Amino acid sequence: MIQVQALILTGFGLNCDHETALACELAGARSHRVHINALVGRKVKLSDFHMLVFGGGFSWGDDHGAGVIQAVKLKNHIGDDLLSFVAEGKLVIGICNGFQALVNLGLLPGLDHEYTRRSVAITYNDCGNFRDQWVHLKADPDSPCVFTKGIRTADYPVRHGEGKVIADPEVVAALRARHQVVFQYADKQGHPAEGKFPLNPNGSVQDIAGICDPTGNIFGLMPHPEAYNHVTNHPDWTRQKQWQKRRGQTFDTQDTKGIQLFRNGVDCITERFF
Amino acid sequence: MVDKMICSIEIALKQGLRDAEASSLVTKAKDYFGIQIASARCVHMVTIDSDLKISDLERVRQQIFTNPVTQVSSLSSLDIDFHWCIWIGFRPGVKDNPGATAMEAIEDLLGKRFGQHEGIYTSKRYCLNGKTLTRSQMEKLAKELLSNPIIQQFKIFSSSDWDPKIGADVKPARVILDHTPCFDIIDIDSDHTLAQISDQRNLALNPRDIPIIRNYFLDPDVIADRKQVGLSRPTDVELEYISQARSDHCNHNTFNGIFRYKDILTGEETIEHSLFKTYIQQPTLALKEKKDWVVSVLWDNAGVGAFDEDNHYVITGETHNSPSNMEAYGGAITGIVGVYRDPMGTGLGAKLFMGSFGFCVGDVNYAGPLKPPLHPRRLLDGIIEGVKDGGNKSGVPTTFGQTLFDPGYMGKSLVFVTALGIMPRQVAGRPSHEKKTTPGDLIIMSGGRVGKDGIHGVTASSESYSENTPAGHVQIGDPYTQKKMHDFLLECRDEGLIQFITDNGGGGLSSSIGESAMISNGCVVHLDKVPLKYEGLDMWEIWVSESQERMTIAVKPADLDRFMALSCEHAVESTVIGEYTDTGKLHIMYQGNTCAYVDMDLLDKGFPAWEFDAVWLPPEARGLFEPVIRRPKDFNALMTAMLERPNICSKEWILRQYDHEVQGGSVIKPLVGVNHNIPSDASVTRPVLTGKKGLAFSQTLLPWYSKIDAYHMMTCTIDEAVRRLISVGGSVAHIGGVDNFCWPDIGYDPHTNPDAAFKAAQLVRACRALKDACMAYEIPLLSGKDSMYVDGHLEGAFGERIKVSALETVQFSATSVVADVMRCLTLDPKVPGDFVYVAGITGNELGASEYYDLFGKTGRHIPRVNFTANKILYKTVEKAIQTEMPASCHAIARGGLGIHLALMAMAGELGMQIDLSKVPAAADTLSDDVLLFSESTGRFIITVAPDQKAVFEKLCKGLAVQYVGMVTEKKDGLQIKGTRGDVIVNLSCAALADAFNKPFGDMI
Repeated sequence: MIQVQALILTGFGLNCDHETALACELAGARSHRVHINALVGRKVKLSDFHMLVFGGGFSWGDDHGAGVIQAVKLKNHIGDDLLSFVAEGKLVIGICNGFQALVNLGLLPGLDHEYTRRSVAITYNDCGNFRDQWVHLKADPDSPCVFTKGIRTADYPVRHGEGKVIADPEVVAALRARHQVVFQYADKQGHPAEGKFPLNPNGSVQDIAGICDPTGNIFGLMPHPEAYNHVTNHPDWTRQKQWQKRRGQTFDTQDTKGIQLFRNGVDCITERFF
Repeated sequence: MVDKMICSIEIALKQGLRDAEASSLVTKAKDYFGIQIASARCVHMVTIDSDLKISDLERVRQQIFTNPVTQVSSLSSLDIDFHWCIWIGFRPGVKDNPGATAMEAIEDLLGKRFGQHEGIYTSKRYCLNGKTLTRSQMEKLAKELLSNPIIQQFKIFSSSDWDPKIGADVKPARVILDHTPCFDIIDIDSDHTLAQISDQRNLALNPRDIPIIRNYFLDPDVIADRKQVGLSRPTDVELEYISQARSDHCNHNTFNGIFRYKDILTGEETIEHSLFKTYIQQPTLALKEKKDWVVSVLWDNAGVGAFDEDNHYVITGETHNSPSNMEAYGGAITGIVGVYRDPMGTGLGAKLFMGSFGFCVGDVNYAGPLKPPLHPRRLLDGIIEGVKDGGNKSGVPTTFGQTLFDPGYMGKSLVFVTALGIMPRQVAGRPSHEKKTTPGDLIIMSGGRVGKDGIHGVTASSESYSENTPAGHVQIGDPYTQKKMHDFLLECRDEGLIQFITDNGGGGLSSSIGESAMISNGCVVHLDKVPLKYEGLDMWEIWVSESQERMTIAVKPADLDRFMALSCEHAVESTVIGEYTDTGKLHIMYQGNTCAYVDMDLLDKGFPAWEFDAVWLPPEARGLFEPVIRRPKDFNALMTAMLERPNICSKEWILRQYDHEVQGGSVIKPLVGVNHNIPSDASVTRPVLTGKKGLAFSQTLLPWYSKIDAYHMMTCTIDEAVRRLISVGGSVAHIGGVDNFCWPDIGYDPHTNPDAAFKAAQLVRACRALKDACMAYEIPLLSGKDSMYVDGHLEGAFGERIKVSALETVQFSATSVVADVMRCLTLDPKVPGDFVYVAGITGNELGASEYYDLFGKTGRHIPRVNFTANKILYKTVEKAIQTEMPASCHAIARGGLGIHLALMAMAGELGMQIDLSKVPAAADTLSDDVLLFSESTGRFIITVAPDQKAVFEKLCKGLAVQYVGMVTEKKDGLQIKGTRGDVIVNLSCAALADAFNKPFGDMI
């Protein structure tokens, strides 16, 4: 059987590779954890894969800007491979540190299909500190992002010290206009947080939590969908379970919204390439 | 030779962007010192000491060090206005993590290798504006907020001092030792001579060990042996080896010592031959026989328990107190990164899956005359940040943690760090918990390099503080380097390349090789092969250096190539530095010459046990009595006052800074409830994401009870840890324990430690309680450590030095395996209309309680644990949870029933209507304050849905489980009816939350 092949980067301080690989598997892909050195040393060929995952962690300790050194290294060694990967319509997702790497590579936001320009930055949280917290997200239903199809709202955890998205006003306006702002931090009801802490945990402009490129194939977000791989990950699960029980329902343990996001990616590849 | 150029790249956020680092400085300057800074900006500096061309420097500046969207940068000093500028840089030899990653990035980008005399150094300068600011204020900020002289240096520039052409004029902080490595021969012509040398060289040899050491080296057979390798009298390398191995830190001399225990009241006299053997080893081994799940205990870097059919979990706990007191950030990060090496070095290596912390510090608002090395407030800031960077950057979730305050910790604060790992039962066809070294195996050192840092850390932590304590042992852990090594070693493990593995912690190579070579019975080590951070280290320094992030691994010669290839792919440095042998000798060489040659069994040569007098004065003999407190009138105010107490109130801001979700296995988080802000009883994590089992974990610290009796301190601590596990869904059948003792010095000295015998008796009693509780609850001690010198000598108002000792403290960690995480429970009441039960009996047990402490009282009625009754109750509650009867369950802990009802109401954001007269009590006469605040053990608050009421009550029949009230709507708040029938507490959820969040609520 042909299967979607997902490459999950590892090494140099990245640390979400195991659960991200699991999330891709639960979504139907075959996951490969590949060390950055194996990729840049061409022991592993990027073209053998359909989906490239830049996962979370602290690459190079996040010294000198989160995701910066990872981006410089990849651009330096396999910049062209990355561009051809993207040009073939394959998928790239960057989560947290991976999102930071994507904007530093210039693969995001990819305005005007320009994939090497850095026009968005992800910088220190306004609160001045690292923060672990679950956030409510609102998805733009008109976004071209292939990962969020059918997802209107989602809860995922953020875990970062540098998650504040900033860009020049024109860039932000363009991103909004072209529906490249995939996820915004929101309240429980799904209304944008409007900058209010802690709903918006980092002070991101326009509550931006995740953006995609114009094709919707490249997606970066600060929250961690892979950390919602099981129903018990959600901070309210014990309450939800109890409420469902009182209504005489059995507790829903189907795909979480975290796995759904990866499944959308896998489905898109299946449709597109198989 | 091309002339080297020193160039500093300056980087700052663009004007107008929020500079979080500078803002934090402005806030702290105002809050801590009342210094008003109008505005500030922070400039990051990267000083490159190399021969890079200008074009290359430009390239690295633009591509690596400058974000075009947010930053400005320059190869010369940035033009930023200031009234004052404070520059902070590391001292030479201090680990500069960003400097190292910068070097790695530049090497990769430019395809160059930095030579030995090149380097990169990072520093910062803060540009401060404020017309009224003075130089002395700048010095205060530099010294007491921005830098620590142990690791950093600073310069202060006024705007008129500043020459933009010269800028901060940063000199590379390079270590230049200018010293030819050598070893010394030590004179042992008399005990006195050796004792003197021990003092001079900071060897901390015990006087009673000295004759044994001399006898060995004067033995004619030994002399003849040594002659063959060109040695006669002992070398400094050898004595350092003995000193490390015999230190209390490595050898646990206290716990293996002889205690002459005497109870003043009863006249009971007992000789305790080894607290470790009697109260830790024996019960644990006995329980190992009974419990299939206990896999490996009492010998390895961490204990091993069975997790599921295919995996084992490993656990250990450590403290890192002394270094954290001198340099809080560096000490704490080194502590957590250090304890994370223990699971990596357990069996054939475990993958880390969670960690936890316990901080004990002085009053953060202390304004008295004593001068600790760091003010408690600054110290707490530093240790929080150190554990944050160390834990988060290791990719390990910190799922549990506690912070507590007591004046005794101002002498020395405590930093507990605990690590858990998971490993497959079988690795490449071998049981993963077994390992050994065999003659012919290569000795490999992987990870970081060796420098002067950490030398004599072990012996220093085995001493209490004096003004002469050397600061050189303070280090800064490097989680990045260690994470790379962690990933690398797990691949080696899975390929079956590892024969033996252990970490380099206290004692460095001396401990790791010294101990692992015992198994093969010998080794040859070539110290000149050990990669160094800089030249000029003497042999003994290489041997005992505690430079971090290093593991020692035994590898078969046939596996070497594959091992090295993986090492290279993971960008980890690994070096063969010797070989295990079976010669019976520890043989250390440097460039072909022998510098140490001693028998592997030297440490068994009859070194004497330490001896202590332990004299117990029971509380009544010490004049402790129950305070006389009449029933309060304003319980609302009393409840809020209790909730505002530092040891009760919310410390959410600390937990939030720790990633508790990474690895994707979080089931019960450290903070729970509707608003995710109430500390959970315990955490539950799925280390194996494809399975349904979970690992429940709790920790308890109740040092206050030691004011009355450390025996009950210990039993209460263990009972609470067990109770916490049960509340979230843990099982009585599987409870693992880890004991971390932190004690003031118990060695008697009429001048410096007159009350040593009492503290020694407290230790004996705590150990007896440890055994009693562990046997009662069948808890094998999977791991444990002790830190015996929790005292400080602090300078006071008149230049006097006052000894400040901590309370006798034990942190107890407990684990349980949850069969199905879907049955786990949180403490928040979930539905109005549910019934509220109190399980367990409340007695008049307010001794050393939070309530008495509110009035500055101690009392005597300390909580006593009824193991038999509690165990029956715990099994019943476990059964109830396993059959999904309760909607919530919460262990009543510090602060008593009243406080824990309040926590539940806040967590559920629901009201609760409670009738105190229904609470199961030891006597009918208990007054309302006793019922609300007594800290009796073995109690829970449980809520149950109406349709579960009957089955739940049937299950609990005959037990002290009583229906005490209802869960109500949020608007009704917490209403508690007293025993006289009147409502004594009536507080809204908001009022409770206001009080609970008051002390630290504005901290983020």
